[in-house]
Amino acid sequence: ANKKAFVWDVDDIATLRSKHHVCGIFTGTLPHLSQQNLFLGVPMVLMPEEVVFLVENEIAVLVDDPKAHLQPSIAELQRWSAQEKELTQLQLAQLAVAAKDSPEMSEEAVKKRKEREAKRKAAAAQAAAAAGESLFTPPADGAPPPQDSQYSMIIPASSTPFEWYNDSTCVYTTISSAKQAGLWEYPSNLQERAKCGVFRDLWEQGMFMGGGIRFGGDYLVYPGDPLRYHAHFSASILESPAFSLTPMEIVAHGRLGTVTKKSHLLCGWDDETKAVTYLSIEWAGFG
Amino acid sequence: MEKHPSYQALAHVLPKYPRAAGCIFQTYNDILLAQQWTEVQVVELESISRAAITGKKPKTDTTLHVVPCSLAETLSFGWLMKAFSQLGDPPEIYLAITSDDASLVYYKLSRGIVKPHI
Repeated sequence: ANKKAFVWDVDDIATLRSKHHVCGIFTGTLPHLSQQNLFLGVPMVLMPEEVVFLVENEIAVLVDDPKAHLQPSIAELQRWSAQEKELTQLQLAQLAVAAKDSPEMSEEAVKKRKEREAKRKAAAAQAAAAAGESLFTPPADGAPPPQDSQYSMIIPASSTPFEWYNDSTCVYTTISSAKQAGLWEYPSNLQERAKCGVFRDLWEQGMFMGGGIRFGGDYLVYPGDPLRYHAHFSASILESPAFSLTPMEIVAHGRLGTVTKKSHLLCGWDDETKAVTYLSIEWAGFG
Repeated sequence: MEKHPSYQALAHVLPKYPRAAGCIFQTYNDILLAQQWTEVQVVELESISRAAITGKKPKTDTTLHVVPCSLAETLSFGWLMKAFSQLGDPPEIYLAITSDDASLVYYKLSRGIVKPHI
């Protein structure tokens, strides 16, 4: 959607990370920790280079999700509605059981409540008399007001359980077919092609890649799962051997890398040989 | 510059590459006199119009290669590759970056993915 690719299924996310060492970033709110954004959940968003790589390696396909939600038939809607009602009844039943099991109010509490009710009645009677109205009928016995029947609507993360979801006409197994359909645009220029090429090359060497913005590079390169290792490298990509590079950039990258106990990797992409050459930059330690 | 004692060692390259003459001179002096390297030699790098300085750090036995350049210059990945190949493909080179205020910094460039030195 909107030229970004999302993964919604938790099992898929697990496979992507453990089997194909592609990490991605979580962008969804966690339902039981919704008031913070330090820990996020499904859906996972993928970097465009990760998407290109996964599709080219036939690990993943692109699905035009909005188009896959077809117009449901009356029968399908009725079935869905019945299912939702069933779930709601189940929730209410569970809530009722929970309320009954809650501890009964102590004697003290009951007495205090009766006193409060009496005070309230007296005050109301005074007000009515002052206004010249006749005393209204005494309110009902001090029973607590009925609880609003509250239940939660559950919206499933994955679209596939819906009967009217059918993606057979909008699944794209190649980047070019997705581009033709207008669903996807990346890579569209040399800079983006260079990023895809470098990503693929680093992946094939067994590295995990994360976003590099924290350390001023294009990627953070980990020798294994990011949960287990600190990154060894921050990488920046030069799109061609002729692309200009100033000594100031070498100083900046080298210094930042050394100070954070990483090396900076300069990845040079050659669009003609489709090969990547690496140079690791470190401060020399003297001079 | 010509009256400086170091000039003799550099006499064959400085007039040939006038643009890089300043940074070659500055780096040579720093390596020889401030860093006190031994077996200091000057190697011509025609493909990138300058000369490199090679030598050994005090109390070590590996020959290291230093390529001087100025902060004001614009390099490229291809330029760095040429430097490597003309020096006989050493595993690493040091880029000496000079500037007008006489400051000089050295950065180590290694070929391939080399883990940081702890």
